Amino acid sequence: MALKTLTSEQKQALAMLRGSLGGISEAKRSAQKHLVASRKAIQKLIETKPLTVPQIAEALNMSTDETLWHITGMRKYGNVIEAGEEDDYPLYAVVVLEEKSAAGH
Amino acid sequence: MNMQIDSEYRPDAVVVGGGIAGLQSALDLADQGLKVLIVERQPSIGGHMIALSKVYPTLDCASCITTPKMSAAAHHENITILTNTEVKAIKSADGMHRVELLQKPTYVNFDKCIGCRQCEYACDSEYPDPFERGLGTVRAIAVPFTNAIPQKAILDAEHCGTCGTCARVCPTDAIEYDQQPRSLTIRTDAVIVASGFLLNDIHLKPQYNAHRNKNIIDSLTLERLLAPHGPYGRVLRPSDGKIPTSVAFVQCAGSRDESIGVPYCSRVCCMYAIKQAMLLSGSLPLADITIYYMDIRAFGKGYEQFYQNAKAMGINFARGKVARIEPVSSGDLSLHVESTEDALNPLQEHRHDLVVLAQGMIPGWNPTVDTPVTCASDGFVETPMLTAPTITNAPGIFVAGAAAGPKDIVDTIAEAGAAAMQVSQYLFQKRSPVLVG
Repeated sequence: MALKTLTSEQKQALAMLRGSLGGISEAKRSAQKHLVASRKAIQKLIETKPLTVPQIAEALNMSTDETLWHITGMRKYGNVIEAGEEDDYPLYAVVVLEEKSAAGH
Repeated sequence: MNMQIDSEYRPDAVVVGGGIAGLQSALDLADQGLKVLIVERQPSIGGHMIALSKVYPTLDCASCITTPKMSAAAHHENITILTNTEVKAIKSADGMHRVELLQKPTYVNFDKCIGCRQCEYACDSEYPDPFERGLGTVRAIAVPFTNAIPQKAILDAEHCGTCGTCARVCPTDAIEYDQQPRSLTIRTDAVIVASGFLLNDIHLKPQYNAHRNKNIIDSLTLERLLAPHGPYGRVLRPSDGKIPTSVAFVQCAGSRDESIGVPYCSRVCCMYAIKQAMLLSGSLPLADITIYYMDIRAFGKGYEQFYQNAKAMGINFARGKVARIEPVSSGDLSLHVESTEDALNPLQEHRHDLVVLAQGMIPGWNPTVDTPVTCASDGFVETPMLTAPTITNAPGIFVAGAAAGPKDIVDTIAEAGAAAMQVSQYLFQKRSPVLVG
């Protein structure tokens, strides 16, 4: 979708909101960077082969509960699907583009 | 859907809480031609019930019961709904109540928002989803959940990166970053308090070590795992996504225990644990499921048969009290149990990979601070007349559902209907000329 340009009123309102929140803290920025980087790393890792949460966590040196949380978000927004099971764990794979458009994302 | 009002709006009754009790009361009043305002502090009506998987003892789909009521209330010409709105005070004088409300900003103009979720798809800020009890994710701007009413996006300022992308993709220019909290006071003749319940904190008993292991969850979290649209789409344990093979239910984990301030029985835990165990045995046919209980309280219509059915299905019922839960290797948990049915071997240890604590029901709102409503020693709204369980100590203010004490959905709906009838009768008497002789 093409992005619209914010009007000056919208920019002003956005600045006001940012101000009321006390600006964007370094912790928030860092959490956001970590989220984006983690998602990218997971996506890249399971592009070629479906993996379980413990396998992803081990490969990325991430805790298993955090890995599961990321997978849950990626699944919710149509980037990841389940692709079978291995030793009591579901396997997760990246959604290829055709599947994503069929799912309406 | 009526969602915009000003201080001139004067409903016949204000219902505090848009859960199943509030919705039922509001619908019953509105069907009699009375104007009702529902005030809900969450972004959607539906309460706890919309988040449940199924209900006992029929195993009907919970959202199949709740969604039509939510929709009926939203489309009723006599009902107005304010979500994201808190009751700050109720001031009563001369038979009239002034209900002071605070409407929190959503940063989205609901008249313009069409619920297309383009803003949500474009947002790159995510946080643990409160609707999924923290297990799932939700974006900083999002429609709260699939069948939320209203189906409108809401921006969570606390998690917003203020990048402006949502406004840039919104096709209807609905984003309003400059929204402010709005206070308003509504005058009404009657109020129904239907503010529901909360579960007490899973960390209250240090012996259960819930802070040390994510595979110790409460019952509402398991409801989300069991729901078809739950966070994982199936039942997995939260620590590592494993399909559980041995699940334990620990009853009376947050009730009937003076040491945590909840000496009373929460009344619903036995039955929902049985229901959840039955649902689990359906979704995890190979799993061992054990319910550790002190006594089973199956007092409602059809409940005893439901309990017997669970036993026949192979659910293991172990009478005793879980004294301690210790995390062991691989995310598993060791339960130290004092059995009251095995005299030769009373102190036992059992290993499980998912543990569900039956936390106690506590009041969802304390109305005593700025309202004339009084509460009993357990914190729930006081109902002084045994023969009229929806009447409070404050004239013209009534109560329905779990706000008056722990109760299940069946009793809640019955009581909500009774509260509506009491309000209707109260208004009729108040507005009718006095008959003489």
